Amino acid sequence: MPSLNSIRELEHMRERLQEQRQNITTTVMVCGGTGCQASGSQAVISAIRDELSRQKVGPSVRLCVTGCHGFCEQGPVIIIEPGNIFYCSVSPEDAFEIVSQTLVQGEIIERLLYTDPVSGKKIQTELEIPFYQAQDRQLLSKNLLVDPCSIEDYIVTGGYSALTNVLNGMAPEEVINEVKSSGLRGRGGGGFPTGRKWSECREAPGDEKYVICNADEGDPGAYMDRCVLEGNPHLVLEGMMIGAWSIGAQKGYVYVRNEYPLAVKHSRIAVEQARELGLLGENILGSSFSFDVDIARGGGAFVCGESTALMDSLEGKIGEPKPKDVHTVVNGLYHKPTTLNNVETWANVPSIILNGSAWFASKGTRGSTGTKILALTGKIKNTGLVEVAMGTPIRKIVYDVGGGALNGKQIKAVQTGGPSGGCLPVDKFDLAVDFEELSEAGSMVGSGGMVVMDEESCMVDVAKYFLTFLQDESCGKCVPCRLGIDRMLEIITDITEGRGRPEQLDLLEELADTVSQTALCGLGKTAPNPVLSTLRYFRVEYEAHIKEKKCPAGVCKALITYSIDPNQCNGCGVCARACAYGAISGKKKQVYVIDSQLCQKCGICRSECKFNAIQVA
Amino acid sequence: MLQYVNVNIDGANIRTPRGTSVLDTAIENGICIPHLCHVSYLSDIGACRLCIVEHVINGRSNITTSCTLNVEEGMVILTNTERVQKLRRNIAELLVAQAPNSRAIQDMAVRCGVKEVRYPFRNDDCVLCGRCVRVCTEVWKAQAIGFVGRGKDRHVDYPFGIRPDFCKLCGSCVQLCPMTITPCDGPMKPGEERLCGKCEAQLIISEPTPGSCVWCKLGEGFGCGRYA
Amino acid sequence: MPPQTLDQILEKRRSQPNQLIEVLQDVQENYGYISEKAMQSVSSGLGVPLMEVYQVASFYKAFKLKPSGKNVLTMCMGTACHVRGARLLLDQATILLGVKPGEVTTDGLFSVEHVNCLGACALGPIVSENGSYHHHMTPGKLRKLIETLRRQETEGKDNA
Repeated sequence: MPSLNSIRELEHMRERLQEQRQNITTTVMVCGGTGCQASGSQAVISAIRDELSRQKVGPSVRLCVTGCHGFCEQGPVIIIEPGNIFYCSVSPEDAFEIVSQTLVQGEIIERLLYTDPVSGKKIQTELEIPFYQAQDRQLLSKNLLVDPCSIEDYIVTGGYSALTNVLNGMAPEEVINEVKSSGLRGRGGGGFPTGRKWSECREAPGDEKYVICNADEGDPGAYMDRCVLEGNPHLVLEGMMIGAWSIGAQKGYVYVRNEYPLAVKHSRIAVEQARELGLLGENILGSSFSFDVDIARGGGAFVCGESTALMDSLEGKIGEPKPKDVHTVVNGLYHKPTTLNNVETWANVPSIILNGSAWFASKGTRGSTGTKILALTGKIKNTGLVEVAMGTPIRKIVYDVGGGALNGKQIKAVQTGGPSGGCLPVDKFDLAVDFEELSEAGSMVGSGGMVVMDEESCMVDVAKYFLTFLQDESCGKCVPCRLGIDRMLEIITDITEGRGRPEQLDLLEELADTVSQTALCGLGKTAPNPVLSTLRYFRVEYEAHIKEKKCPAGVCKALITYSIDPNQCNGCGVCARACAYGAISGKKKQVYVIDSQLCQKCGICRSECKFNAIQVA
Repeated sequence: MLQYVNVNIDGANIRTPRGTSVLDTAIENGICIPHLCHVSYLSDIGACRLCIVEHVINGRSNITTSCTLNVEEGMVILTNTERVQKLRRNIAELLVAQAPNSRAIQDMAVRCGVKEVRYPFRNDDCVLCGRCVRVCTEVWKAQAIGFVGRGKDRHVDYPFGIRPDFCKLCGSCVQLCPMTITPCDGPMKPGEERLCGKCEAQLIISEPTPGSCVWCKLGEGFGCGRYA
Repeated sequence: MPPQTLDQILEKRRSQPNQLIEVLQDVQENYGYISEKAMQSVSSGLGVPLMEVYQVASFYKAFKLKPSGKNVLTMCMGTACHVRGARLLLDQATILLGVKPGEVTTDGLFSVEHVNCLGACALGPIVSENGSYHHHMTPGKLRKLIETLRRQETEGKDNA
């Protein structure tokens, strides 16, 4: 592709592409994101491609392999326009029918439609599915329109027009003011006002400046950034370009965590394509703006999501956070002024420029504007990526979007904000997804992870899980984090193993408070949050573990016993064969018995038993 | 040309060169903020968190380490409030529970007001203060030892665990190590670790500042040797 | 991509200390682990002190300092997977293979790793085996997977 030397040439290219695609009447969008790939969408894509050529379907039908649609549990997912037809759990064998019936003849295949788990009815279009209806998919819907490996797809749908607006006649201060007025706050967890960050960086002395996209997304249970970067890398690049231009940066980096190979691959392709077209490099589109981007991979360290540690990692060093007495917008990468923002933050910038700050600020609450992508997972019917306006109550997300509890259990809590966040009980579900509201309640919006827990989740075990995670990921430099988390974990382990003493709860709280005040970086400072929030709202569970030596949810191994219900057991012996410790004995067609001395409570028998005969108490 | 700034530490107005840390300024002026990983001729890393102070700014007070905080005109610092004392005491408690077999750590704990240790004692022989690593890297520029691993697994080691030939056995690391100062009665037997507290002496490894001691109340609270 | 030699990996990056992590990533991909010899070449090739190379290699989980098993089973320990019982999978792998996470079985066939979130949370629990993701795993399915991989190994040997 020849390089574009002016804005006019880009506009011409867009017009030409639009003309070329005028004859396309039907588009079939197959999700090629990591989630659907895990469910086998690659085979589906090949099968459809083969069928399209076998059935000699003409150029009016276009196959587009898109990024993540967000409804991963239903994958592989296909959407067909016109008609907004939504097929889920598609297998390669369905390709023949999909092509011959739906694409060629416009007929719907009933069995591939989504069944609403609440009403039991089949739903034809994506927009009618309750999961999608309750959302406001400003960013996620863009994933459906583009093949992430095609810059032409991005351009033909209007991509890079925000950049041209900026280059065409906006002053850097104007752009920064727009971002300020929009109220956009960091989407990675910090919630820092983006416009202010850009403005401080712009004012910092020095000619050499950097912009960084933080795609380290270390929060377990969060995959929003993966979805946006994998599915629409050009959107992120465009945001970075606009930011770099306003701040005066010449170089940018996208720091992608090592565990996201597809995001790395797609970002690299996107950068290559942008360079080829002259959208990255010297004198972009004939302007005086020169800017280039490199993709860097993380090495597998959650702590490198912290901005000073990330910058150290970019410099080839270990990720040890530095005290924040000096701000990175003044002294950052290679000691130069640096603006680091999250993937989702950058992705929001182009639409703020195109639609205006007032449009963005009209959504959400006064303090938290715009939309936020959440990763809704756990014990609910509909899991996946969800984009809602800030200010949406948790209740709506869990029940209207999430469809409520799985398997008729009782929902007990929602964990938000990853390991830095906290657990909120059901009576707090009227709280909105708002930076301040959730922080005051002892949790946080964080990067957007939202894990729903039910009566089978032990809240003490949840606190233990997060402490274990943080202990694994701590850099180890400072005493409160390294030793403090270790001792908190020691106490909680005592509690989950039946050695808890009442005075330990007070010690736990005091230690948690000390760590939160004295740790060097955000990881350490927020490490006590899961402990503090579960103590605040679920203290009764801690007390049951300590006083009665019981785990009400039936999770903590030392406090539960596995037994076989003689009324349910049908003597099939599957459990005995599955048991790796020889703890189950019995004869065929007779009730089997678990020897509690040998039983290690690993749970394999329970997951293998088809008759629900294994009891946990 | 040395530029000076005026700061207020614990009510005392102090004139100090720009670019100095709050900790250095305080020690220079007789305010002995407890510290472990700080050594005057090595870089400050803020790892032990014992030197924390309250930095009063914009109506709020932030807890921060004084070794990594540089003085600025009009800065207000409080080194010995109840809040800071409690936090410091808890950190010292964590340290002595981890490594009781060091007189420096024992003294530090008592000096910071630790009366009882509420955690089971362990018997580590390194508290990762980083003094050894920094002297080898910054003074001798040998980089024969360094921090290896992460989190709980973080420890000081040679490359591949083998002493390289560019380590000249100068002994600087051993000299600076707080763990090499053992309790007076000798090492405690495993299982019999306790909070010793016998010496209540001024920490031996902090720099003596004979000329600038102001007999501050801080010293009384810390069991400073001058009050004994 | 064909396997690269150390020289090829270092080409174009010589004397650039900030490329250390990228170089080590490539070494890990090509050799399956970072050997002492590799670290020494990287140290002299990039101009980074040996202690720093060792420090970086031991800090990041992506880098293994010992060779892995032929089949690397990576269990996701993210929150969503944990809530759906990922702990049981790790225990099952440990019991069946007799190795702890990070270790290799004596026959060199398997090693077990755990990772803190692969980003496929809606499909958990996830076990990744040599790059392919297996979703909605249960201890039973894991046992079958291990048996299949073992069988492939013996069949491969028979055919050789």
